[in-house]
Amino acid sequence: MSEQQVILDKVTDIIRDLFDEYDGPVTMETTANDVAQWDSLSHVRLMVMIEMELGVRFSTSEMQSFKKLGDLVDAAAKQSG
Amino acid sequence: MTACSFPWRPPLAQDWAERLADIEAILADGRAPDYVALKTLANQQLGLREQMRIERLAKKLERAALPNPAFAAVTIGLLGNRTLSYLPDPLAASGLARGLTISSVEAPYDSVASFAFSLADCFGRPLDALLIVLDESAFASKRPILDRTAENDALADAENLATALASAAQEKTGCRAIFATLPGALQVSSADLATPGTSARFRHHVNLMLAEGAMEGRWLLWDQAALASRVGLENWLDPVRYHAAKIPFSVDVCPLAADSIAAVLAAMKGKAARGLVLDLDNTLWGGVIGDDGLAGIRLGQNSPEGEAFVAFQNFILTLRDRGVVLAVCSKNTDEIAREPFRNHSEMVLKEDHVAVFQANWSDKATNIKSIAETLGLGLESLVFIDDNAAERERVRQELPLVSTIEIGEDPSFFIERITQSGLFDHLPLNQEDVSRAESYGGRAAAAEIRATIGNYDDYLTSLEMRMTIAPFDAAGRSRITQLINKSNQFNLTTKRYGEEDVRKMEGDPDLTAWQVRLEDRFAQHGMIGVVIVRADGTEWVIDTWLQSCRVLERGVEKCVMNTLFETAAQAGVKKIRSKYIPTDRNGMVSDFYSRLGFAVVDKDDDGAVTYSCAVTDYEPHRTFIDVCVSK
Repeated sequence: MSEQQVILDKVTDIIRDLFDEYDGPVTMETTANDVAQWDSLSHVRLMVMIEMELGVRFSTSEMQSFKKLGDLVDAAAKQSG
Repeated sequence: MTACSFPWRPPLAQDWAERLADIEAILADGRAPDYVALKTLANQQLGLREQMRIERLAKKLERAALPNPAFAAVTIGLLGNRTLSYLPDPLAASGLARGLTISSVEAPYDSVASFAFSLADCFGRPLDALLIVLDESAFASKRPILDRTAENDALADAENLATALASAAQEKTGCRAIFATLPGALQVSSADLATPGTSARFRHHVNLMLAEGAMEGRWLLWDQAALASRVGLENWLDPVRYHAAKIPFSVDVCPLAADSIAAVLAAMKGKAARGLVLDLDNTLWGGVIGDDGLAGIRLGQNSPEGEAFVAFQNFILTLRDRGVVLAVCSKNTDEIAREPFRNHSEMVLKEDHVAVFQANWSDKATNIKSIAETLGLGLESLVFIDDNAAERERVRQELPLVSTIEIGEDPSFFIERITQSGLFDHLPLNQEDVSRAESYGGRAAAAEIRATIGNYDDYLTSLEMRMTIAPFDAAGRSRITQLINKSNQFNLTTKRYGEEDVRKMEGDPDLTAWQVRLEDRFAQHGMIGVVIVRADGTEWVIDTWLQSCRVLERGVEKCVMNTLFETAAQAGVKKIRSKYIPTDRNGMVSDFYSRLGFAVVDKDDDGAVTYSCAVTDYEPHRTFIDVCVSK
């Protein structure tokens, strides 16, 4: 399994837990628009949970550049790799 | 410890998720959950995920709006010049852990000035409290460096703003304002506090101004600054998300911040703790007074540990100075337990400080109930401190309303755990509060004990105890010798043997000499009992029977006695004889053999009693321990 896939699995787990009313697919292409519960408040919370559980820390510019879940997974992979 | 953990709370239960699911199912049914169970569930050492789930549960509860007579309801307004949107969920969760239903009403972003100075009312409803969190930028005045006049003007502006906000809170929402103190600034120099115009100096002065106002009763305080310094300013702040989302402190610390705010709200609602129930051995001093004696306990100058216990006692006295009533609950003989209070030169606490003194061999939950009744205090206003995890568990099972702080084993950290808990948080004190503890008097009287409450058998089962009984051997020799020479209280004959005597007993065919070990799901207790039995024809005579007082009321003696009679029966023994020799220490076991089924044969003039029991007459006792006997 690629490192990206391992990270995506962990992130998916967090997303399923945090957005408990969402049962659609979670992929590298998923964005906040796909998930009703994913608003600006829960976005920060999601970032915190991902940072804590993956043991990474995103920079201000990285946070700004995330357009889809894949961007975040790539950034996390870069840090842990 | 991570920034957002709750080390003073009970550890996360193994079946936490199942219990949560049970409560969620009941809620989904539209029924009211068991609120005490709910509080227990929320008041644990929650991880990130559990915290999130409790927050979600709290939200569902709020939506369900079921009547909840068990909790106090608080509606709190949130007003700040930064976003406080990350507080409502953790506030609701922390409320559950403290027996409060907290619902938050958020003001629109940065409506501080309009709330203070215009007729606009962004809440439009009565509130129970209004939390106001301002950061430095809410006080707009320019403060050029070294300009003391500008600094004083800025402080006067700050006080005007606070006064206007407090009046608006009163007039528009009918409640008191709670001001957050300002956390420290990232400082350029150690001279910042001595340099007019710096952030550090300004915040310091604003905090003093807020404190004075609170003392005068104009508003209340939430000491954000104290919490931030406890956590560390660099953990408290999150500059990345400050710039992204304008949050005043890190999202990571929100649960902790919410918990500390909830502690203030609990105090406001009269839900803060008012009584402190203290264990003695290894809680107020190191060691066991009944076994180690006055000279043997660790308290004061002789050891670092002893110093920690003295510091802890001094801290307890400062709690009493604030009006907290003190009680003692210890498994001990009353007279022996009082000895350090009367005769130990390093003892800070005296009997005069203790309103109720429960030293006996009964179950602690039962004793705490008696203490509450004697003091006329509700169980929810008592905090129980005991170094023994199994005792805490028993009290949690039987009296879930009593707060049992996870105090740890190192006395150096006892004070920290209690202050972290916020259980004794209070509003600015008045003379009446302070004299409250006095008013209970230092009677140090023992309360009457009722029958054991609850199902004790269930508790014993839940301990998952395992006992090992093994003959004396070289590996156990030094601990066996130590127990034989140290045990005073649970010791039937108080016979002392040296290490060489003990060595000779190993493998002696005329002896049944056992070392008994116990473990449970909380701890490995190690060797907790020694039994020496001599064969005398077809009879056995119990020469020594002693146990550690650490594991009383667990049925250890019943279990060992059952095993002894089984072994005797297999060996063809007809009768077991035994003796109780009284000392000034072992009164607690004076009826030991009668309780276990022996009959009195003879009484000496010096008080010694001889007993016997025929092997065929012995009826095994019911026990809750798995036993493993090694040959």
